[in-house]
Amino acid sequence: MTVESPAGAVPTLRVAIPFTFYRFVVIAVTAAVVLAPLSLVFYQSFLDAPFFQPAARLSLYAYRFVFADEDFWVAFGTTLLLASGMTLIAVPLGAGLAFLMVRTDVPGRNWLEPIILIPIFVSAVVLAFGYVVALGPVGILTTSMRELIGVAPWNLYSFPFLVAIAGLTHVPHVYLYAAAALRGLGSDVEEAARTAGAKPWRVALDVSLPMVLPAILFAAVLVFFLGFELFGLPLVLGDPQGVLVLSTYLFKLTNKLGVPSYQLMAVVVVAIVAITAPLVFVQRLLLREAQRYVSVRGKGVRLAALRLGAWRWAAFAAIALWFVFSVVLPLAGITLRSFVETWGEGIALSEVLTLDHYRELLDYPNVVRSMINTLGIGVIGGAAAVVFYTAIALAVHRWPSQWTRIIDYLVMLPRAMPGLVAGLALLWVFLFFKPITPLRQTLVSVWLAYTVVWLAYGMRLVSGTLLQVAPELEEAGRTTGASETRVKFDVTLPLIRAGMLASWLLIFLIFVREYSTGIYLLGPGTEVIGSLVISLWGTGAIDLVSALSVVNVGMIGIGLLIAIRLGVRLHG
Amino acid sequence: MLRVCSITLVAMITSAASAWAQGAGDANLAEAAKKEGRVVVYSTTDAASANPLLKDFAALYPGITVDYTDMNSTEVYSRFIAEVAAGTGTADVVWSAAMDLQLKLAADGNAAIYASSEIPSLPKWAVWENKAYGTTYEPITFVYNKRLVPPSDVPQDHAALLTLLTTKPDAYRGKITAYDPEKSVGYLFDNEDIKYFPQAWDLFRAFGKVGARLYPAAGIMMERVTSGEHTIAYGVFGSYALARSKKVPNLGIIMPKDYTLVMSRVAFVSAKAKNPNAARLFLDYLLSKRGQNVIANAADLYSLRDDVTGEATVAGVRALIGDKARPVAIDRELLANLDASKRLEFIKKWQAAMKGQ
Repeated sequence: MTVESPAGAVPTLRVAIPFTFYRFVVIAVTAAVVLAPLSLVFYQSFLDAPFFQPAARLSLYAYRFVFADEDFWVAFGTTLLLASGMTLIAVPLGAGLAFLMVRTDVPGRNWLEPIILIPIFVSAVVLAFGYVVALGPVGILTTSMRELIGVAPWNLYSFPFLVAIAGLTHVPHVYLYAAAALRGLGSDVEEAARTAGAKPWRVALDVSLPMVLPAILFAAVLVFFLGFELFGLPLVLGDPQGVLVLSTYLFKLTNKLGVPSYQLMAVVVVAIVAITAPLVFVQRLLLREAQRYVSVRGKGVRLAALRLGAWRWAAFAAIALWFVFSVVLPLAGITLRSFVETWGEGIALSEVLTLDHYRELLDYPNVVRSMINTLGIGVIGGAAAVVFYTAIALAVHRWPSQWTRIIDYLVMLPRAMPGLVAGLALLWVFLFFKPITPLRQTLVSVWLAYTVVWLAYGMRLVSGTLLQVAPELEEAGRTTGASETRVKFDVTLPLIRAGMLASWLLIFLIFVREYSTGIYLLGPGTEVIGSLVISLWGTGAIDLVSALSVVNVGMIGIGLLIAIRLGVRLHG
Repeated sequence: MLRVCSITLVAMITSAASAWAQGAGDANLAEAAKKEGRVVVYSTTDAASANPLLKDFAALYPGITVDYTDMNSTEVYSRFIAEVAAGTGTADVVWSAAMDLQLKLAADGNAAIYASSEIPSLPKWAVWENKAYGTTYEPITFVYNKRLVPPSDVPQDHAALLTLLTTKPDAYRGKITAYDPEKSVGYLFDNEDIKYFPQAWDLFRAFGKVGARLYPAAGIMMERVTSGEHTIAYGVFGSYALARSKKVPNLGIIMPKDYTLVMSRVAFVSAKAKNPNAARLFLDYLLSKRGQNVIANAADLYSLRDDVTGEATVAGVRALIGDKARPVAIDRELLANLDASKRLEFIKKWQAAMKGQ
């Protein structure tokens, strides 16, 4: 219709590409990046040698070996115990914390929230190193306790302690979901209960809890699921003691037969996915259930705080205690280690203070690169990842089609695969899929791995923002005659800009923290702090590890401060 | 037929020519290497130890960049074989402390044949078929905490350690640490011990009875020994211990007087090297007197050349333990360590020993 007008040429062109086409392109790309590594691992599990060796034959040998291996079943049992134990700790505490923060007048609830979420953004390996220095058998607190009461009252390397640490550091995950659900409910029912004379804890247990139960169950499944992937904590705290979980068993398999046995590792991954994939389904069901509850929310929800009275400060002290144990202690430990030559029994710390470890950081080109790369992958890579997530989210946004279900599952799948293996699988993809081979030794490989591994998380952030755009705005655009593509670009996208910015910050924090995914992709040019720390820990360069960890925590700290300053809600 | 012959002939002529070029001296090699401009090294030697070497190499050959990546030995192996199979770029020089994996790579045809001009100065056991070269002479030592282990307890040989653990099990409960043979070079060392020390399994069982802690890396063992969490570490690279003891004076090092294993980091030039000349130059440098002097006196990795002086040298080790050094030879015998069924059998026995059985 506007053929003769050159100015009209652009919109005509846009209309020429139907939005459906865009949708299918996005689905295809997502399917490719998710399924390629996963199917490679699946295929590898049915071979008797690395898939790229000519001698590799189809065989069930790897399954027979793993299922006959006593260690596998021990690791499996321990993982179940660990995952259940940490869920049992994290869920009640997280839910309780959410109730205190959202519904009561506990002191400091305005500034406590970002602080509570810190454990989500600190690498588990860094925490584990810190615990060794603070609470290990000759840790700083342990030795002072021993001087005080004669015996060391705890054993950091015992299994219950590992479960406790894992549980306490996952409290924020539960908090996030429980708090969100609580905010979505009006407080009128609670007030009614209070007026009828119920005590605060009665209100919490009998009124609030049942209403947010689906959200809490959802978080419980999530934590249980994270328990299956836990790697940093059991590696540092459990391994020397011989405590094996599936992820450390996987790590061990690389060497058990002398040469790396990928087929065995692949079988373990298939086993892990077989357990975690159903959990993903359960999560979906629960989420639907949770949303049903949230939909009862009315307009103008007013949150009246329950008065705790004398219990206010007791509640505050409990939160502070939890925070000191799960954040302050380990971070103080690792920071201290980075400023001393040595530590332990009978050593006066004042005599061994040094800044050398930080100076040494600059001596190694790979360490320097790792710091630059980590910032790069956080800032630029984070932005690119958000663009990618937004592209997917837009494609399925308000699309009444069965295809959205498929995308939903696709997006969840990578989460079922431990980061370590996802990294290895992507290394293979980059090696053997020729068109992208030249990118392997660049940060693009690491970026893609991170983006895929955190797909589910990123998608939740972005689609959460998208859902806040009321449909009538888009419908208005459609009514005036704009194409669907045009509406997405001119109406929806500008409206979610702030949300995308917030997502970018959160992805930055996650990418800077990530450690296991990059291990196999580590090479000249692709070093990132998290992976380098694991690699350095393996060679035993503890001095560098501690200094580098502190730098990493510093970056995360700055990111968090910016997020708080900009008023970003740390849960998208 | 004729064609095959002529190809062979050409191959012979070129290889003869290149052999001649090598003989003609390092100047030509250095020139060719400079044209390549860089060399990619995959290594298990941590950057802290390798840094002096890399800096000296850079000073000697300013036109050549060394892309140095340190990884653990499994990662070195995994990456290398995958990259070779994919036909994409890979390391020019592979330099790893996992002697068995290195020999497997070389035996599987991944190492280029290169007769280094330094061969006459190297011990016989350190050169395998002009492909794989030992580059260091690292004694495997006991490391202990000088403040926490009384002088009378310090074990001077393997038998003394066994006696100490059986007579004072309570004093050393949880205080012993060793390599985890299931995921480290410990497997190789333990099997060498079994060759030289008839009571090796008694010693391992004694480890189990006192609840020894196993780690995959020497650095972690030493960290825990200096902190006092453990007090004696068994089977630690003397090289790392020497470097560490210079910073942390309370770390004591013992070369066992009955026999001391000596291991050597194995290097080879990749058959698929993109920068073959720079790779040869780097290998030559590692083996040269200048490079070995840095290895001994700056990197603390112990030189295997007789003409290098200092504490961390063949002569330095001889001064302490006489003729009791037992180098692990670089030959096909190493491959036995990679036999899967043998490994599983050993691991089973080891796990039982760790339970004191």
